[in-house]
Amino acid sequence: MSVTTREDATLPGAARAAGPRPASYQSRLKTERLMTHLGLMLIAVGFLLPFLWMVSTSLKTLDKTMAFPPTFIPDPAVPMNYWTVLNSPKIDFPLFTRNTLIIALLTIIGTVASSSVVAYGFAKVRFRGRGFLFALLLSTMMIPFPVTMVSLFSIFRWLGDHTPIQWLGTFKPLWVPAFFGSAFNIFLLRQFFLTIPEELSEAARIDGCSDWGIFRRIVLPLSVPALTVVALFTFLGTWNDFLGPLVYLQRPEQYTLALGLQAFQSQHGGTEWHLLMAASVLVILPVIVLFFLAQKTFIQGIATTGMK
Amino acid sequence: MAGMRGAEGRNLGKGLAFLSPWLMGFLVFTLLPVGLSFYYSLCDYSLLQPPLYVGAANYRDLMADPVFWKALKNTFWYALMALPAGMLVSLGLALLLNAPIGGQAIYRTIIFLPSLVPTVASAMLWLWLFNAKLGLINTLLGFVGIEGPGWLTTPEWAMPALALMSLWGVGHTVVIYLAGLQDVPRELYEAAELDGVGPVSRLMNVTLPMLSPVIFFNLVMAIIGTLQVFSIPFIMTGGGPARATYFFTMYLYDNAFTYLKMGYASAMAWIQLLIILCLTGIAFWSSKRWVHYQGT
Amino acid sequence: MKIVRNLVIAAFALLAAGILVFGQRAGADRPKDVVVVSYWEKWTGNEAEQMKQIVTDFNRTVGKEKGIFVEYLSMSNVNQKTLVATAAGVPPDIAGLWDTQVAQFAAINALEPLDELASAHGIGPGYYKPVYWGACQYQNILWALVSTPAAVALHYNKKIFTESAETLRAAGLDPGRPPRTLEELDRYAKALDKEGADGRIERAGYLPMEPGWFLVHTPVWFGGQLFDEEGQRFTIDDPANVRAYTWVQSYSKKLGKDSMTEFRSGMGGFNSAQNPFLVGTVVMEQQGPWMANYIDNLAPKMSRAAFPKEREKGMRVEDRRRNYEWAVAPFPSAAEGGEDATYTGFDVLVIPRGAAHREEAFEFIAYVNRQDVMEKLCSLHCKNSPLAKVSERFLREHPNPYIDVFEKLASSPNARPVPPVPIWPEVNEEMNNTIQRIYLLEAEPEAALKESQARLTEKWDRFRALQSARQGEAAARGGRQ
Repeated sequence: MSVTTREDATLPGAARAAGPRPASYQSRLKTERLMTHLGLMLIAVGFLLPFLWMVSTSLKTLDKTMAFPPTFIPDPAVPMNYWTVLNSPKIDFPLFTRNTLIIALLTIIGTVASSSVVAYGFAKVRFRGRGFLFALLLSTMMIPFPVTMVSLFSIFRWLGDHTPIQWLGTFKPLWVPAFFGSAFNIFLLRQFFLTIPEELSEAARIDGCSDWGIFRRIVLPLSVPALTVVALFTFLGTWNDFLGPLVYLQRPEQYTLALGLQAFQSQHGGTEWHLLMAASVLVILPVIVLFFLAQKTFIQGIATTGMK
Repeated sequence: MAGMRGAEGRNLGKGLAFLSPWLMGFLVFTLLPVGLSFYYSLCDYSLLQPPLYVGAANYRDLMADPVFWKALKNTFWYALMALPAGMLVSLGLALLLNAPIGGQAIYRTIIFLPSLVPTVASAMLWLWLFNAKLGLINTLLGFVGIEGPGWLTTPEWAMPALALMSLWGVGHTVVIYLAGLQDVPRELYEAAELDGVGPVSRLMNVTLPMLSPVIFFNLVMAIIGTLQVFSIPFIMTGGGPARATYFFTMYLYDNAFTYLKMGYASAMAWIQLLIILCLTGIAFWSSKRWVHYQGT
Repeated sequence: MKIVRNLVIAAFALLAAGILVFGQRAGADRPKDVVVVSYWEKWTGNEAEQMKQIVTDFNRTVGKEKGIFVEYLSMSNVNQKTLVATAAGVPPDIAGLWDTQVAQFAAINALEPLDELASAHGIGPGYYKPVYWGACQYQNILWALVSTPAAVALHYNKKIFTESAETLRAAGLDPGRPPRTLEELDRYAKALDKEGADGRIERAGYLPMEPGWFLVHTPVWFGGQLFDEEGQRFTIDDPANVRAYTWVQSYSKKLGKDSMTEFRSGMGGFNSAQNPFLVGTVVMEQQGPWMANYIDNLAPKMSRAAFPKEREKGMRVEDRRRNYEWAVAPFPSAAEGGEDATYTGFDVLVIPRGAAHREEAFEFIAYVNRQDVMEKLCSLHCKNSPLAKVSERFLREHPNPYIDVFEKLASSPNARPVPPVPIWPEVNEEMNNTIQRIYLLEAEPEAALKESQARLTEKWDRFRALQSARQGEAAARGGRQ
């Protein structure tokens, strides 16, 4: 089901079957189409304007951002703003980018690896209590993060004091849990695995393949699209994550981009909007590019979550 | 286990083996923290000193805490504005985007993109857009002769501003609706056309009922999400002005990490969990009356 | 298109890999083989630059000798961030907080005690002016040392005094000197109030709410206190405090609440050229020694009235003062024997509990407290010195020509610090609320203060109950072992 590419250019079947359409019907249809186009265009412009405004501000000088009434076209245009942001003493962009990438990479590896294994168990291995455990899995998605936030903080502190491994003050609280499966992705992959025909596994089993072998050699290769979806969503989630780093990252040198971006926000007025917008554009850019590269995968994944 | 035949037993072992990462994680990162959090909610705990059992004192104090009620009220007020608006707008957009006209791919992309934008960047952008003097919104309003309000700097308009902003990110939900719409069997529309049923009636009697499982799913997700709103107001307003945008999770966070009242914060978290369970339960119960599942 | 797409993906993957492998690592500019001491400080802008100078001086001298490198980091909300980092077990080695955090953090076990380290460096009770030393302690343990102190005094506009000489004399007041008692202050203020043509207030002789930073400490000039340290109880509704806030309220009543509110809403911000004291909207103000720096930056003419700044170098202080349109005097007190009363707030350096490098951190703190270094820092920040011994050079060359007034006030027996109560944030919030209600004429001082007394006493009793329960448990646990 590819949502973006399917064009519904067909008329309702009944009308087609009825033969040549009357002129009034044609013009009514035309008007409907025109109205829809207009409506959508207006809405699309509304959705796009914030982006354009953001880019426009990012290219202005500080006093031009303060100019009243505000103008749309930056004059003079200052692409230097982007360079200033990358070298800014207030926010160590390169460092924060690296931090975010490290966490993202580890989280992706952990999520893909563990979620696929667990999803296989839920999808392909019949055992007693599977239904119960699956319901349990789903119910964990309803637990709000704040419930575990405080006690996890405390647990991590305890681990740091009583084991040789430090947790708070490192990236670990953010990526280690990913290696233990994430309910959302387990669910997604399970749905996908269910669509893989049993005959394939049966054939392999007859050949003497273990379940692990079937998983590794048959199911996984067939699941590359779904795994890509998981990887993509995980990357998005990490890139976007604010509360997690806010709670668990205590030292400024560990901040991610999401946390660091705040540094441009001044408490006492005098926010440098042009730099803030430039920094925001830089933070959004990878996501937009990623989207255009993997459109179908994105839409597919989201659509699947809504079903069932 | 003794009564199981060999194969069943083996399967159980295999199943649990595959599930083991999640099982371990569930114990350590879910069950344990949830249990601990309940214990903490019965304690006075600052992390710098050991927890001190105080019974139900935290819960009692919360009931008498005016800030708690303000935060709760704020969160519900936001939900009341953002939830229906979000559902209507996303459904409406999905219907528009499902129409048989050209250029849908572009429209769909434009509407979906904002939902990908990282929260922080979105917050900064809209902070700038809502600027009372220099922001784009008041400028545009000015073009049509309306003097825009102070938005995030005034207690009356701050929350509506946040609700308005939430509509920018409906793209995610729209995609789910689009997928649902395309699942509606063509025959039903054809039959309705044949019967001479008008477009509005088609919408009410064919589209919506067929979509109801998807609507239900989105409703539940929206309830859970709206009650946990944190990052956007945290970054944009810090809860002001005068606590007008002080959300429930923000007060929870403040109690935990500003005042170091971890026990108090844990009690708040449990109340939040209860509210979510209640509302989800109501949604599930009511779903029997309006959600139609296609014969699956 | 597929090729383009794959190329873009490859490019991004390469970029990501490049950043991961070769990208900026934390602490890249740190020198190797030294102990790195992390120092989180509240200051930004000029004050940060000035402290960074001191840090560099240390790193080049004592630091180099002892293999210590101090890393300065400006942090917003430094007190909250330090608290959470301490709770997380990964605090900075040094935190630059405010005096108001000393009791609060000490009581919840968030700080490292400094007695031993201090005496090892020769810093003891006689080293500081008494008021600062006392406020660095909580329950007789030393928890902090001063980074820069302050004292509060009366600032008045000499030029306006001279211009209004006739009006003042007609009221029986001397335009050549500042008010010496609180009652005189009220009379000066009234004489200097000016109305515009439309009957609205144009200028206020004095307005307690402007800047109103120290309203919660008003009792200091009435011989009162909000908290009794000996008895460990709140004394919010004591008669002296009621008198203090009745006096504050009298200014709202004199001007009328609405006109006062309107008057204040039109005032410029503190850190701007429209600062009401600088433009003469307010003639007298309660401020600190840093004011000289701000006036110099925002309204330089006020500090160059007679001759260019360079000529001041080498002049005697009395002569320097001719160059200033403004002057400083002790803020008058209403209490018997209460002369030279002042509120002394200050910035502190603390070592959070669990800091990785305690001793090295204290090397820097001790360095900052060396007389020459402290005088350099306080001169740069335009503040007085917390030390008992003050060099003559400091007094002579200080950017503020009235620094001796502040020095005298800081050494006075009537100097008072912030009340040493661990629930200060709650006290501050409660008091600010109450004081605002009082001067907005929404409540009468005695009744309002009584309410605050009740509320804060309840909070305080609760806090103490929890603390003693904790101590009880700890003792029991200790006994069992």
